[in-house]
Amino acid sequence: MGVIRGFFRSLSTTLKLMTYNKAGFIGFLATCFILIVCLIGPFFIPLDSKTKLDQIYQPPSAEHWFGTDHQGRDIFSQIVHGGKDVIYVAVVAAFLSTAIAVTFGTMTAFVGGKIDGAIMGFTDIFLTIPQFPLLAVLAAFITLDNLTYLGIFLGLLGWAALLRAVRAQALSLKERDFVEAARALDLGTLHIVFRELVPNMMTYIVISFTLALTAAVYTQVGLVLLGLVPVSSSNWGVMISMAWTQGAIFFRDAMWRIMMPILAIALFQLSVITMTRSLELAFNPRLRTMV
Amino acid sequence: MAQNQLDWKTEDKPTGKPPLSLDNVHVGYATRRGKVQAVRGVTVDLRAGESLALIGESGSGKSTLGLAIVRLLPETAQVSPGVITYRRDEREVDVLRLTPNEMREFRWSDCAMVFQAALNAFNPVLTVWNQTFDTAKAHGWHDKQAVLARLVELLQFVQLDPKRVIDAYPHELSGGMRQRVLLALSLLLNPQVLILDEPTTALDIITQRTIIKLLRQLKEDQHFTMIFISHDLAIAAELADRVATMYAGRIVELGTSDDIFYRPRHPYTLGLIRAVPTVSGGFEQLFSIPGSPPDLINLPSGCKFHERCSFATDRCIQEEPELETVGLNHAAACWNWRAVAEELKLNPLHRGALNVLDPSIILAEAA
Amino acid sequence: MTTTATVPESLGSEQFNRSPNILSRFAQNFYVRRLGKALFTIWVVSTIIFFLIRLLPGNPVEQYIARLIETQGMDYENARTQAAALFAINLDAPLWQQYGDYLWNLLHLNLGVSITSPGTPVTAIVARFLPWTIFSVGIGLIFSFTFGILLGLMMAYRREGFLDHSLTIFASVVSSIPNYLIGILLVVWLGVQWKILPIAQMRGTMSPGVTPSFSLAFLGDALFHAFLPITTYVLTTIGTWMLSMKGSTVGTLGEDFVTVARARGLTDWRITTAYVGRNAALPLFTQLAIAIGFVVGGSFLIETLFLYQGIGYQLNVAISQRDYPVMQGIFLVITMSVILANLLADFLYGWLDPRIKVG
Repeated sequence: MGVIRGFFRSLSTTLKLMTYNKAGFIGFLATCFILIVCLIGPFFIPLDSKTKLDQIYQPPSAEHWFGTDHQGRDIFSQIVHGGKDVIYVAVVAAFLSTAIAVTFGTMTAFVGGKIDGAIMGFTDIFLTIPQFPLLAVLAAFITLDNLTYLGIFLGLLGWAALLRAVRAQALSLKERDFVEAARALDLGTLHIVFRELVPNMMTYIVISFTLALTAAVYTQVGLVLLGLVPVSSSNWGVMISMAWTQGAIFFRDAMWRIMMPILAIALFQLSVITMTRSLELAFNPRLRTMV
Repeated sequence: MAQNQLDWKTEDKPTGKPPLSLDNVHVGYATRRGKVQAVRGVTVDLRAGESLALIGESGSGKSTLGLAIVRLLPETAQVSPGVITYRRDEREVDVLRLTPNEMREFRWSDCAMVFQAALNAFNPVLTVWNQTFDTAKAHGWHDKQAVLARLVELLQFVQLDPKRVIDAYPHELSGGMRQRVLLALSLLLNPQVLILDEPTTALDIITQRTIIKLLRQLKEDQHFTMIFISHDLAIAAELADRVATMYAGRIVELGTSDDIFYRPRHPYTLGLIRAVPTVSGGFEQLFSIPGSPPDLINLPSGCKFHERCSFATDRCIQEEPELETVGLNHAAACWNWRAVAEELKLNPLHRGALNVLDPSIILAEAA
Repeated sequence: MTTTATVPESLGSEQFNRSPNILSRFAQNFYVRRLGKALFTIWVVSTIIFFLIRLLPGNPVEQYIARLIETQGMDYENARTQAAALFAINLDAPLWQQYGDYLWNLLHLNLGVSITSPGTPVTAIVARFLPWTIFSVGIGLIFSFTFGILLGLMMAYRREGFLDHSLTIFASVVSSIPNYLIGILLVVWLGVQWKILPIAQMRGTMSPGVTPSFSLAFLGDALFHAFLPITTYVLTTIGTWMLSMKGSTVGTLGEDFVTVARARGLTDWRITTAYVGRNAALPLFTQLAIAIGFVVGGSFLIETLFLYQGIGYQLNVAISQRDYPVMQGIFLVITMSVILANLLADFLYGWLDPRIKVG
């Protein structure tokens, strides 16, 4: 669809915008680096799953760049392999949230009136409910062992804040001439929303997507930490969770085992957020006075 | 009506010396591209009880000069070289050398600067009374009842209902009301000098009229010493005793209102006057000054106006003219001022060329 | 002396904006409307929870009945009765009546009885543990907001300076890291690696043997135990406040009324506090509502992490034990706290900004 093409076209403008701000550019590079390492790295670096009891909790060395864990396994390879699940779930969740937020946000902004009031009321109530406890309670009822289901689950619950922001953006666009022209030509609501409004908000949508990514990472790692989501493969969240439940946190030599996944997550979040912030600044110079 | 009389103003002892003297004042800003020379050597005396109008386009340096007197320029600005002397009763100080605390006291109680378009001149979260008392307290005046009494008097002078205004928040007052409140507030501490920056811009015609009437009262009844900064010639014509036209950071002509409006000797002044459409004249061609103001970082050589001047000669391109006497109490900075005088003899300014707002002068001219 | 204007600080002025009849004025009143919206939201959330419990796959009521039958050999009727009592619902009645009963129970603060601690009403559990959460979350939020604003103000005044740059980096980094990770980092570094804090003793809300009282000693003990959760809340949220306040202050500094205030000869202190500070901080109050929701939701994770027995911790315990009445009750209470806190934040904003039309 034209929307997808528009998405990629604006990605290239987005890239250009990002070079303006040094911090944002570094964030962008860092994000790309992490993505490459996590998605392609696993093919080149095998996961060390052999238990070597004589090498428990070794500090970083030439052989083991990040040291070893409680079973003598190399931490570096675990880190490399641990990102892809986290990223996959985050992408699914972010995609779904953004899709819902964009579709309904623009539509409600455009249609206005009572429907807008109803949708916004619903969104406001949704926003008031604290997200994490809600997720935890629901996770108790619904078993989520499939990564995709987890992503969908997160996506279905995380659209509220995004929808508000998208609606605000769409409202400001709505008053512009090209929308009025489309209306005068009687082009139909769906057409105006998807063919006129959305393509003009593309950069903003990209920003929303990346923010949704960080939110999804936050939520899923939190759920994993609490043991509410049984995930089988090793990923960053699981690494921290296992360290936590095994009490490794209190053990001095186990530092590398805990710090590495934490650093990985923190770095990922930091890179994405820095990249997004500079995007926001470039996209809307008025924001420079706000944050 | 008694309400329009300010009977509280104490007359300052006349010393015979001008309350404010500017001596070779320069103001420059450091920017990435280079140094912006906003004011380049302004020397003028403001006499007691007189109103001086500073007229010029944006970028002429008039607002900068006003801000320099109360030292409210941004931190990147440098006011040097130059001396700004202020005198009151027996005191004489160089404003530019005052300490921050002395400066704070100087502002508003000695010299009050009223800014344009008072739409946002007030703190939105405080009432008019709060802000008035703030001002009084900051200058050591803690007597609530006395301040209140004075405020009421001043509000009545500017024709506002004190009951409506005193406890109101700024957003509850209209733009015109706020401008009048600001004017009233400026008189609170009995300043000697008032500087008004574009006092009537961005106001509707009716409010403009009211403000001008009030200012005229201040001038004629109370003999306030005032400086008007404006791009609008009409206000200068209505209220000023003397007018100084500014261009590219310098005064290019200085004289009485009559001199400036009927006998200008600088091409820029002439251009300004001719550019104003007349009320009484027919549909004649408007003269606009071609070109645009110069880049204040890279100024042209010689006279800064020469690129837009129809009287320019070779000398204008090489040497910048200083102010020279062209009549009694009338000075102009132009090598060819005599040519301007000749031009005016051939093409006199139209009747009612100015004074769009005051018909009486048009009629006097016609007579 | 003519005027009546001695220094009354009535909110705005009453002579403008008079509505014809008193009922519509009441209904249009800012405070009344916000209160109404809050109550409405509470009702909606309660309803959602009601239907959630009944309509979800793996309906907890049915599950519980099945468990009773299996483990205790009860017959269906008895199991049903017991379940009904525990969940404070009447399973025989039609759905709408169950709903009515449910709401009636709620109004009487009857949230059911715990499954895992038989005989303990949910309200008792809530009453016992909620104060700890309010204590830690409240102090955390107040600290974070106050210091965030002060630091943001400082950063704006010393823009581009060393302080500004370093604090901006600090704020950006710290607000990107998930709060539970910050918690873990605190434990790992302050407790284990550098041994600054005796974390083993800091678990829980009170030291063993200490009885609650209104004494300084008790307060000190409570703060000792709440130190880690509070620090985590503060670190997670202060970054956003700092950056927002800095931006807002920079904007306010450029406003005309600040220049006019300086022209009026006001002291720098007065200008910074009443002119710049108040106006710059105002927009931040709208973010307060979101922050409250976030921190209260986060208390669920943080309390579990630090073994701090507040209401979030109890919720987690209830979830792991599948203690459905407690889950439902605590979840409702958490949501209601957020709604009430938002309401207070709204009221505070309405009181501080005279431009909000009250009537």
